[in-house]
Amino acid sequence: NGAKQKVKVEPRTTLLNALRNHCEPPLTGAKLVCDHGSCGACTVLLDGRPVYACMQLAANAAGREVTTVEGLAKGGELTPVQQAFVEHDALMCGFCTPGFVVSVSACLKEKPSATLDEIKTACSGNLCRCGTYPKIFEAALAAGKKLGGGPR
Amino acid sequence: MSGRGAEGLAGALGAATGRLQDGDQPPRPPKPGKKWVKTTKVVDGHEREEWIEVDAAGGPSWPERSAMRVLHQRLPRVDGPEKVTGAARYPHDVRLPGMLFARLLLCPHPCAKVELDLEAARKLRGVHAVRSLRPSDLPADEDWITRYLGQPVAAVAAETPELAEDALRAIAARFDERPFAVTREQALAPNAPQVRSDGNLGRRNERGDREAAEKALAAADRVIEATYVLPVQHHLCLEPHGLVADYRGGEEATVYASTQGTFAVHGEVPRHLGLQAGQVTTLVPHMGGGFGSKFGPGVEGVTACELARELKRPVHLLLARADEFLTAGNRSGCVQTVRAGATKDGKLAALIATIDRLGGIGGGSHAGLPYIYTCGASFSEIRSVHTNTDGSRAFRAPGHPQASFAMESVMDELACAIGMDRLAFRLANLGDDVWKRQLERVAREIGWEGHRHKAGPDLSDAPVKEGIGFGVSTWGGGGRPECEVEVRIARDGGVSVFSGSQDLGTGTRTYVAAIVAEEFGLALGDVTARIGSSAYGRANGSGGSTTAASLAPAVKDAAHKAREALLERLAPELGVRPDQLALADGRITGGGVNIGWKEACARLGADGITTHGTWQAELAGNGVHGALAARVQVDTLTGEIAVVKMVCVQDCGLALNVLAAESQINGGMIQAMSYGLFEERVIDPDLGLMLNANLDDYKIAGCREMPEMLPLIDEEDRRGVIGLGEPPAIAGHGAIANAIHNACGVRLREMPMTADKLLMGLEALRAGARGAREGAGGRG
Repeated sequence: NGAKQKVKVEPRTTLLNALRNHCEPPLTGAKLVCDHGSCGACTVLLDGRPVYACMQLAANAAGREVTTVEGLAKGGELTPVQQAFVEHDALMCGFCTPGFVVSVSACLKEKPSATLDEIKTACSGNLCRCGTYPKIFEAALAAGKKLGGGPR
Repeated sequence: MSGRGAEGLAGALGAATGRLQDGDQPPRPPKPGKKWVKTTKVVDGHEREEWIEVDAAGGPSWPERSAMRVLHQRLPRVDGPEKVTGAARYPHDVRLPGMLFARLLLCPHPCAKVELDLEAARKLRGVHAVRSLRPSDLPADEDWITRYLGQPVAAVAAETPELAEDALRAIAARFDERPFAVTREQALAPNAPQVRSDGNLGRRNERGDREAAEKALAAADRVIEATYVLPVQHHLCLEPHGLVADYRGGEEATVYASTQGTFAVHGEVPRHLGLQAGQVTTLVPHMGGGFGSKFGPGVEGVTACELARELKRPVHLLLARADEFLTAGNRSGCVQTVRAGATKDGKLAALIATIDRLGGIGGGSHAGLPYIYTCGASFSEIRSVHTNTDGSRAFRAPGHPQASFAMESVMDELACAIGMDRLAFRLANLGDDVWKRQLERVAREIGWEGHRHKAGPDLSDAPVKEGIGFGVSTWGGGGRPECEVEVRIARDGGVSVFSGSQDLGTGTRTYVAAIVAEEFGLALGDVTARIGSSAYGRANGSGGSTTAASLAPAVKDAAHKAREALLERLAPELGVRPDQLALADGRITGGGVNIGWKEACARLGADGITTHGTWQAELAGNGVHGALAARVQVDTLTGEIAVVKMVCVQDCGLALNVLAAESQINGGMIQAMSYGLFEERVIDPDLGLMLNANLDDYKIAGCREMPEMLPLIDEEDRRGVIGLGEPPAIAGHGAIANAIHNACGVRLREMPMTADKLLMGLEALRAGARGAREGAGGRG
């Protein structure tokens, strides 16, 4: 998230556990759900690309740029993606939300004009149990428009 | 546990809706100044309806919906910004100085004698506690035998999650396997291992008149017989069960719990910390899903408290994902065999059912058959069959989705048997006009009018076929006098509202603030809702869709009293009568007065205004209907089943926040679809091991499976607030099963409805057609 973090961890420590348990202050936005690379709740950007933080060793991230959901909004202002999630009610319990926000942000950064189908594909590694998917799609399409994706 | 108290009444009470009821009449005439209202009571997430006596005099009332400025609008959640930035702190995210991470060791067998040697684990660096969970009331000379697959047997606490895992591995546990039953067949076999001390058959009850039902069945023009099988479904809350117990010695502690009942946890944790209730604060700041499975602290929460008490350090114990599947509850499976008959003119004449609830060591749930539809004569036998698996818990409309799947399938099979349009057959057998208008509405939205093959499947040669299915649902969702709410107006104009109630993703925090904002003519952002703390007013657990109908009236009452107190205080100073003043758009006006909210509040004393509210029966309602339609595409070559569109119309009285209500309806539809198409707990019957205790092999619906969804709120319902968490989750999978049949003629009676079952069904249809041709001396 733009700041240098130095942590001392065992080699087996995942990037997710390093973020959540060893960073100061702890970065708990990325969630531990499946610990298995199945649900996407721990999605972070590693050098700008979305990855499952539970499937990366912390040591593997040494010297690389890690962006968590906490690092998306600059200066306390929500990003267009975050704003759209709030406006479209693209969250319920909110536990999957950080992962979806990061996945959608990465998708729209690459292609603001992403279609519904492309958004579904970009988020196909994220699971939600409350059933927010339809509103997430609405939010992502609206944010894409705001980010200059234009009509599609 | 599994809510046996409420469920046990299921068979004895003959409500055609499947809801448990006290009866249609109040028990006695009301006392002077009182009246009776029917409402919903929830025990461990299971609902029953009962009559309660309340004040007859009307309290505050909701404004006309058209006059509402904040309520009944599309309100983004007040905690949305926290949740999208990662700032929202869930119990799982709590990090405290000196905090230890705890884990449970689960018994890997369905039934085993347990012996533990903890010494090696205790010696590990960074491990602070290792304890056996052997029941304290078990005599020392008696064997410790576990009862279900995944029963916790030991706990560890260590400085990191990694070290805690090491400690689990270092426990020398000896499990002597004992004979077990993990399937219904094993439990019912002669000489089956005894699962519970009272045997393998639990609560059994009968309902209806066997003789009359048999007679009606014999007289019916067409009869069907079928068995419907539903698997065990997991709640799969993304945040696991558990809590963080912050105790560092002394006489105070704070507990951060992932629960749907702040006070359900608070009522139990203090004694496990060795403290009294007043010395402990239980907090539920945010929580990551419950769906009926998270009320009391559970063994994980109790263990966290006991470890914290022993170590005098904060302890974090939230279950690992695999443990969630094995020891955090589930929706009971069931096997239902039904014989049913209809008359040629389209009446459901008779239904006879035997129903086995499969709730593991728990009782399981079933709402009873017939479900919703009016039936000439019926008889059913319901029993629980116990297995050595985790006990079922309440899960979004306990018992209803099971009953609905069988009932909607029966209705469809009978409609086909008499050659009637399946929608028309349903309409002809519904006793209540609300369901009829709702069914007609979803039929319009799903495109039933233009659908080519209403009575039978698509017989064309097209490889991909489309079908439509329907279903109806019911629930209570009423409120009770179980919440106390405080509203404060400060001299700086700040408004806050306090309740111990919790927000499990339903949007509680937002409507609590919205009700107060509406009352004061303020914007949503002008009110701060403080919830999820045992330090605030008591509140019921969020089970059985009773939160909104219990809490909203108490919030409204407190806000109404605060408004009156404010105007009474200000009016004399402003030279007007209180009843001349109106609050709107952040201003106080009337009788020549026109001042801003803050300016007015500045006239208050330093102590401001504080009022308390309680439940007001007039502001809530009870008893809802719902109808659902699904359009499904079936690929007859690959067996792939794709839901194309789902529509659900739901009444819920006054929808406090339309946007959140829509989300709830979507969520219910999606969970039902996921249940119908993907979800199933798989246990190897010989080894007694669960084969899919992870999120890869236990599949739930994801982005790629999402159909077009249309959530509709039935605005013709003009009653007060009624909950709607449960009902939209009831009818989806049954509607999908019927849509599959309508598409291709395959009747899937066993969930999940997967491609392999569909292909086998198609093959059976082809074989049947060949057999019929050959039998008739055809071309072969």
